[in-house]
Order: sequence, then C-alpha cells, then structure tokens
Amino acid sequence: MTAVIVLVVIAVVVGIFFFSTYNRLVSLRVAAEEGESEIDVQLKRRHDLIPNLVESVKGYAAHERGTFEEVTAARTSAVNAQGPAAQGQAEGALTQALGKLFAVAEAYPDLKANQNFLQLQGELTATEDRLSAARRFYNTTVKALNTACQTIPSKWIAPIAKVTEREFFELDNPAESAVPSVSFN
Amino acid sequence: MGLGVDLPPLDEQIKSNRLRSRMLFVLFFAVYGALGFAVSLRFGPGAFVVFCCVAIVIVLVTLTMGDDLAVTVARAKQIKSREECPPVWDAVEVMAIASGQPMPRVYVSPDPAPNAFAAGKDPKQAVVCVNQGLLELLDKEELEGVIAHEMGHVRNLDVKLMTYAAVLAGGIALIAEFVSYMIFWGGSSDEEGDLGIVGVVISILIVILAPIAAMMIQMSISRRREFLADASAAEFTKYPQGLASALRKLGGSTVPARTGSTATAHLCIVAPLGGNGKASSMFSTHPPLEERIARLDELAGGQLHVSRALGVTAAY
Repeated sequence: MTAVIVLVVIAVVVGIFFFSTYNRLVSLRVAAEEGESEIDVQLKRRHDLIPNLVESVKGYAAHERGTFEEVTAARTSAVNAQGPAAQGQAEGALTQALGKLFAVAEAYPDLKANQNFLQLQGELTATEDRLSAARRFYNTTVKALNTACQTIPSKWIAPIAKVTEREFFELDNPAESAVPSVSFN
Repeated sequence: MGLGVDLPPLDEQIKSNRLRSRMLFVLFFAVYGALGFAVSLRFGPGAFVVFCCVAIVIVLVTLTMGDDLAVTVARAKQIKSREECPPVWDAVEVMAIASGQPMPRVYVSPDPAPNAFAAGKDPKQAVVCVNQGLLELLDKEELEGVIAHEMGHVRNLDVKLMTYAAVLAGGIALIAEFVSYMIFWGGSSDEEGDLGIVGVVISILIVILAPIAAMMIQMSISRRREFLADASAAEFTKYPQGLASALRKLGGSTVPARTGSTATAHLCIVAPLGGNGKASSMFSTHPPLEERIARLDELAGGQLHVSRALGVTAAY
C-alpha cells in the first residue's frame, strides 16, 4: 500500500515537471517564431524603402552610379538571404552600402533639403529602430531556448516537444561597432 | 549573464503576480466583509447586503475598466496614430517589439510633471501613458528607457496586479472613509447598539484597520517590482544608460504632479508625490532613485552597451 502511494506521488511529481517543462519549451519556440516573423516584417519594410531612396538620390547625383549599384546589389543579396545568420550578414553589408549612399547625399545640399528624401530617410531610421528591437527580442528568446536545449533536464524533453536550437540574428559588421551614433542635441 | 534577470526568476515573478492578483481579490473581500460586518452591527443586516452589492460593483468595474480608470484619473488623451505624437509612438512601438508584447494603447497626459505609467488588465489590453512634462525633459534614448521600464511592468504582469490594486485599494479607502463618517457622526438612534460598547470598539478597530489594509495592498506591490522592471528595461533596450540618465533627470525635477494621487502612485516610473530620495521608507511606493541608478550603472558595466553599439541604428 505504502509503495503504491509513493509510486503515485513520484508519478505525479514527474508528470507535473514534464508538462511544465514541455510547455515552457513550446512557449519559447513560439516566442522565437514570433520574433523571427517580426524581424521579417521589418526587413521587408527596409528593403521596400531602398529603391525609392536610391531613385531620390539619383535625381540629384546621377553620376554616382557605383554607389547606386552597390546598394542595389547589397539589397538583392539581403532579400535573397536565407536563415538568421546569413540574413544578419547580408543586412550588415546593406547597412554599409547605405552608409555610403548617405555620405554621397551629404555633398548635395538641395537633396538634403528635399522633403521626399528626408521622409524616406526618417522612415528608414524608424524601420531600423524597429528591426533592432525585433532582433534584440529574438536573440534574448533564442538564448533562453538554446540554453534550455543544452541543459539537463529540459534537454531530454526538447526532442519530444520538437524544439531545436536556433541561430542568432547578429549583424557582425566591424564598421558598425566602430561608429557609435553621436548626436549633439 | 549580464542581463541581471534571466528568464527562470522572471517566470517565477510572473507566476507569483498571477497568484497575487487572485489573492488581492480575496483580501479585498475579507476587508470589505469586515467593514460590512462593522456597519451591520450599528445599522442592522440590511446594511451588510448593501455593502456586498457595492463590493460586487467595485469588482465588476475593476474587471471591466480598470485601465481606463487610471487613464481618466490622469486626464490623458489617446494617441491613435504615429502622426499625432511621433516620439512617443515610436518609442512605444519599438519597445513593444523589443519586449515581444502587443502594441499597447498610447496616451499623453497634459501634466507638466515628468512621469509615465502603464496600466491594463493584461498585456493584450495594456495602456502606456506619458506626461507632457516627460516629453519635454528627455531625449530619445531616455524616453525609450522609460517606456521600456513600463513595458517591463506590462510583460512581468505587474500592470495587471497594479491596476487591480489601484482600483481595489481605492475602493477600500473610499468606503472606509464613508463608514467612519457614518459610525462617528451618523445613526442618532440609541446610544448603544445591539452589542453595546463592544460592537462600537470592534467597529472603530475595523475602521482603523481598513485603510492600513489598503496601504498594505499597495505596498506589497511596488518596490521590488521597480528594480525588476528596470532590469527588464535594460534587457529590452540593451542600453541601461538611457534609463539611468532619465532617472537622474527625473530626480532633479521639482515640477509637482498635478494629477497624481495615492491611488495611481505605484503605476508610475518615479513616485509622483515625492519619496524618491534617501529618506524613502517602508511607506514609499518606489525605491530610492540613487539605488535604482546604481543598479542600472552596474548592468551598464557589463557587455550590454556593446550589443547596442552593434545595432543597425548606429550606422548613421
């Protein structure tokens, strides 16, 4: 009789533990998927803004063809990139190309005063703020997810919950970390 | 590492918030029942029935419109599109994404005191309200830090608990005042009620205890949560310096709150009625600002600012 009670208690404890770990893993996976789709939304917005931006700069600086081609090429490879790691890398390259485009724009006062250009630039900055936020959420979630997939005992339950480790979305671009944003207001 | 708060302890916090929200209603009914009992000793069982009806109304109001009440108290105006107030809209949208929460409703209050609060019954119907005074005082990254702190309260389910507490504690305080008025000044019938002097003593005791209970509800809620929300803000922005700098500015501000009240005090980023200084004691809703800033600086000493510098915004 006592043995039965002990067994039942153990079964209940193990059961509760199993289900709570299972649910935690699944909710982490769902959160990571949500984070990934938010990143995709912001990436698409970013990519959609770029052709218009290039056009508006072309109107003032048609002869800077090399820069335009570089931005367009970087955009194409960013659109085609698959998976967080590759996407992160392609976006880093795109950011660098855009940096050059804005450096070109600096030389044309008329362009810098153009409402359309200013609006596009503002929208791009806002989109990049959101992208950056989405990336932070995704990476924080993936960190928790990967930790759960690597540590005992959640490691044993992960395959049952069909949860696997994920790639981080990092923008490893040395030029970016070297140039912190500076404002003088 | 580095984040100060990892996911498991926060999970615990969220679970405990859920439990506390339920306990709050139990406590509310207990205090309310005691008050009703005190009144019925003096005015008969009819009064008890009336009391129970009022209690049910208060609970229903809390469950259906708690967040709206908090916003109404602040006399805030809802921002429905980005064009109406881009800095606030952007900061809230970015921080909603960073915290993985749905976009809350956004309000701006004309109050010149630099403050902000979050409210709502759950993350899906949260409200973030910013005072005009805060907008004028803070730059973009400081504002983001403050909004991130509020989104931390939303994510950690503090707002749910806090909104319930604000309305329930407000209900208790209101009724306790009313009852003490009735018992001391009303009821001119017989000098001693059915239970005589004992009943009066019990009534008086309960009337004194009720506001204390209301205060306990408020206090059980805030102080540790502020540190946790600060840590969550650091997690969302990966830039604790923004919030730290905002808190420094808020600490230096002497503009008095126009719409602050004890009922909504613990929903704010800083205590609106003073009590952010060193002298803040057991009875303060918020921990001392110095301590909060010190902890944020500690977080900033880690690797957090590095990941922020890697952000795409850094390029221009």
